[in-house]
Amino acid sequence: MISSQQLIEQIQKNVEVPWQSQRSDGFSDGILFGSGETTVTGIVTTFTPTLEVLRKAVSSGKNVVICREAPSYSRGERAPAFWRNGPAPSKDLLDNDAVWRAKQEFISRNNLVIIRFFDNWDARKTDGQLRGLSCALGWNSFHVAPGSGEDAYDPRNVYFRLPTTSLSSFAEGIKRKLNVHGVRVIGKPEAKVSKVALTHGLLLVADAERILRELGLDVVITGDAVEWEAGPYFQDLVTAGRAKGLVLLGDEASEEPGSGEMAEWLKGFVSEVPIEWMPAGEPFWTLPQAG
Amino acid sequence: MEEMKLSRRRFCQVTGSGIVMAPLLMRAQNHSSSSLTARGVVARIKEKVGVPWRTPTADEFKIGDPDAPITGITTTFMSTLDLLQRSIAAGNNFVITHEPKFWSAADVVSDVRYDPLYNHKVNFVEKNKMVVWRFHDHWHAHRPDGIFAGWNKIMGWENYASPAVNPFSHEYVIPETSLEELARDMQTKLKTRSMRLVGDPKLRVTKLVHAGHYIQQCMQALPNVDVLIVFECREWEAAEYMRDAIASGQKKALIQLPHEGGEEAGMEECARWLRTFVTEVPIGFIPSGDPFWMPA
Repeated sequence: MISSQQLIEQIQKNVEVPWQSQRSDGFSDGILFGSGETTVTGIVTTFTPTLEVLRKAVSSGKNVVICREAPSYSRGERAPAFWRNGPAPSKDLLDNDAVWRAKQEFISRNNLVIIRFFDNWDARKTDGQLRGLSCALGWNSFHVAPGSGEDAYDPRNVYFRLPTTSLSSFAEGIKRKLNVHGVRVIGKPEAKVSKVALTHGLLLVADAERILRELGLDVVITGDAVEWEAGPYFQDLVTAGRAKGLVLLGDEASEEPGSGEMAEWLKGFVSEVPIEWMPAGEPFWTLPQAG
Repeated sequence: MEEMKLSRRRFCQVTGSGIVMAPLLMRAQNHSSSSLTARGVVARIKEKVGVPWRTPTADEFKIGDPDAPITGITTTFMSTLDLLQRSIAAGNNFVITHEPKFWSAADVVSDVRYDPLYNHKVNFVEKNKMVVWRFHDHWHAHRPDGIFAGWNKIMGWENYASPAVNPFSHEYVIPETSLEELARDMQTKLKTRSMRLVGDPKLRVTKLVHAGHYIQQCMQALPNVDVLIVFECREWEAAEYMRDAIASGQKKALIQLPHEGGEEAGMEECARWLRTFVTEVPIGFIPSGDPFWMPA
């Protein structure tokens, strides 16, 4: 028997960095919905707890969902920086929203516990999101890592050297390997690429500047970019001949393999209940490209 | 970015803390072609835009000498380096851009001052004696909103504005079609390459809304429409909301466009509008275009 509170304590003990729980603005790691006293029947890890993921969790007999993004379509910020995203919907708006009401009722009716585990997971010495994504791409042997073993996926070790190919073949290969539709690319399709940086989530210009200090870097891969920030920044880099391109996988595609990594990590110290990674899947589909 | 009352104050704070702009001096204009300056064009825009000029605002000179003679005007959505090169090739040294020039909402130059790419872009502008001015807040504030007037025109939707709502709310009732047909039509007309969709391709749709960039706008808009159209919306907001809406049984869909797809036509509209009161120099709309392509 393990309660959801005991599960969190187990996570805190094993995360190997001081638990930093409270953000000044936005959701913090910990229980977002449900009770710490609930007995855990099984654990699901996922990028984002969609209604579909919650239904699958319940039908497989699991009542704890550990996620990176919160279930309410927001990171909970009251005053998000620089207009990049919206503020959290007000309680009044949420209470009157049919979609949210359906989801919240499902969560309550099934006594689910939803745990956010994002900031502390990312604070570990090993970047679980990066390691998960690298493994999903099959890129372990291309990793340019100064360390090895536990240190190989230090969050700074984002560089990979692959067999030289064109940017278009490179992007097509990634799209097939990860089985996603909404991959978006900046750069000349025929540009030759070999040395790449692999990141995940939302890439900001300051992150890009730091990553690009590495010499000979052709392409940066990430989840999403603000279209008046890192988007035109990479367009300009390409025009100036300073980089070959940017590949955007989509947030879910770039982060989801990390949830698989998290499930494996949890199995290392939680043996009382079954643990399963349930990918939320990409939200989008796309039209065939016009010629 | 779309105009949004609540966030405007915050935006201005950011603008104010970023870079110090030369004060804009209002002065009488001499309408002779040889002496027309960027500052002169902006003074006329202020006269014609039909709303009081706000301070602070994002609509300021971003780089270049506003008092130097101009050779021609380019209107565009995003003043990328490639766009600046094409503007010079077209003979236009004054660029009016809707979105920022230095990769942040308020063009906070202090953050990128030591970036070699910043210097590269500045050098190009100086070498070619260019001036860049941003026209965002007041073009949205113009009635009708200049950005959406351009969008309605390029989509051919000028007559589809819903009579049930405020004429500036960007809601539409279009002849019934399927989500997939609608998306194809939009892809063609907007010349977009990176549209992404949530929902059943065969869903019959007729009521649409431009739902802005943010989740609370989507929540407010969804009950009245079949389709939300968003751009520059983070993926943990509208897309996740829409797939839960569908999972909970609602017959709805989402079209997520690149930011250009939603707003670039509004800068073509801006060129048409400028030509009605600036006649001394050529005025051209040059699309910065969808920045993305999708692999096969």
